[in-house]
Amino acid sequence: MSSALAVFRKDLQLAWRDRSGWLSALAFATISVLVYSFAFDLATADIRPLLPGVLWTTFLFSGIFATSQSFQRESETGTFDAMLVAPVSPSTIYVGKLISNLISLLIVELALLVLTTILFDTPLLTGELVLVVFVGTVGYVSLATLLSTLGSRGSARAVLLPVLALPLLVPLLIASVRATGAALGAPIDSAPWLLLLVIFALWSTIGGALLFPVVSER
Amino acid sequence: MSALWQVLVAIFWWVIHTLLEPIWNARWVALPPLTGVMMMAMIVGAVLVAPREIVEGEVQRLMYIHVPVATISYLAFFVTAVASAIFLIGRDMRWDAIARGAATVGIMLTAFALLTGAIWGKPTWGVYWSWDARLTATLVLFLIYSGYLLARAVGGPNDEQAARYAAVVGIIGYIDIPLIHFSVDWWRTLHPQRIIFAPKPALPGEMLLVLLLGFLGILFLTLWLITLRGTTEYLVQRADRVRARLDQLERA
Repeated sequence: MSSALAVFRKDLQLAWRDRSGWLSALAFATISVLVYSFAFDLATADIRPLLPGVLWTTFLFSGIFATSQSFQRESETGTFDAMLVAPVSPSTIYVGKLISNLISLLIVELALLVLTTILFDTPLLTGELVLVVFVGTVGYVSLATLLSTLGSRGSARAVLLPVLALPLLVPLLIASVRATGAALGAPIDSAPWLLLLVIFALWSTIGGALLFPVVSER
Repeated sequence: MSALWQVLVAIFWWVIHTLLEPIWNARWVALPPLTGVMMMAMIVGAVLVAPREIVEGEVQRLMYIHVPVATISYLAFFVTAVASAIFLIGRDMRWDAIARGAATVGIMLTAFALLTGAIWGKPTWGVYWSWDARLTATLVLFLIYSGYLLARAVGGPNDEQAARYAAVVGIIGYIDIPLIHFSVDWWRTLHPQRIIFAPKPALPGEMLLVLLLGFLGILFLTLWLITLRGTTEYLVQRADRVRARLDQLERA
């Protein structure tokens, strides 16, 4: 566990020194909310039916772009090979990576929630909604972190990550949009969306920790 | 611990070989004629034997090919997932060839199922496509395994790293299926409820018989195509190795 924390601290330090990574993710998220509000005219209508979709597509795309970077710099500088040589299990490296990706994304998402609260005058920072956002983010960040190891094979392949990850994330997207809608007071449908989110988060983290050694092997 | 693991792996291989080897040895003799006979029986049965459906008319005869193709595409992807897992355990590139071949066949089957579904859907539902649960799930499955083939195509035929990566996608793609089904099922549903596997089959006997023939025909066709594609991928791997060796010799 302490070595996972070491990986996590290293990543956070790098992210702090080179702020371009998460700042561009934040800028991307802000701009995409603006683009959505022009495209769907969110300023006038009752936006609650549309808002969950807007939020989650923004989260997914900025998250995918952020995680696709997570192994790229390491493989360019050779850090990744050094970490694999170190006497820790690859699953530990995965957990550390996962936590650092999760924290940076949660910060971006929190900022975005505050921004949408201000822009659309809809209180979004409720306990239920923050819970949905957290569980959903754990689910997709763990899957995207596992798949982003392909990005370590050169920048041209990075475009493959969304193509691979988004179909796998379809259940998560449907469940989190519906759960967010329920938290915003949409007509309740009976399906247990939050339970589906929890199951997705569990299987993707466990599967990621089990399969990461296989994909990271050189 | 590692000794126990080795014994388990050895037992596993022994079981795989004793079960699959006879089938594998008979593949070129048995599969083509079986496929041909069953497919002919299905076509004759669907066009001539099966009664005309009262409400939907002649277009309902698409069922005899649409339902088997849609069902058996899951089997093809299951072969991909299992072969991927075996490849990850033993690191034998032949299993990668089988996984890749089965995914190609599965892509073809899902595409065919979506196509026949659209042709059947227009006169019956009035639309080519609807966002119904099983349609959506099939489309998502098609996209996932297209992604598998893309990920595998990143490296050459003998690129073990690309094969490992693709195998991981092949496995988690299959584990994802129940989640996809639950989510799109709760999302919306319009597809006719399953009438074949219900406790009392709602289809008349002749229709059920022809449908059974269709299932067998498509099953044999799928197995044959998977062996063909798998063998082709394996030959591509070998040709690639021979070419690499030749280059090496020329340079020396």
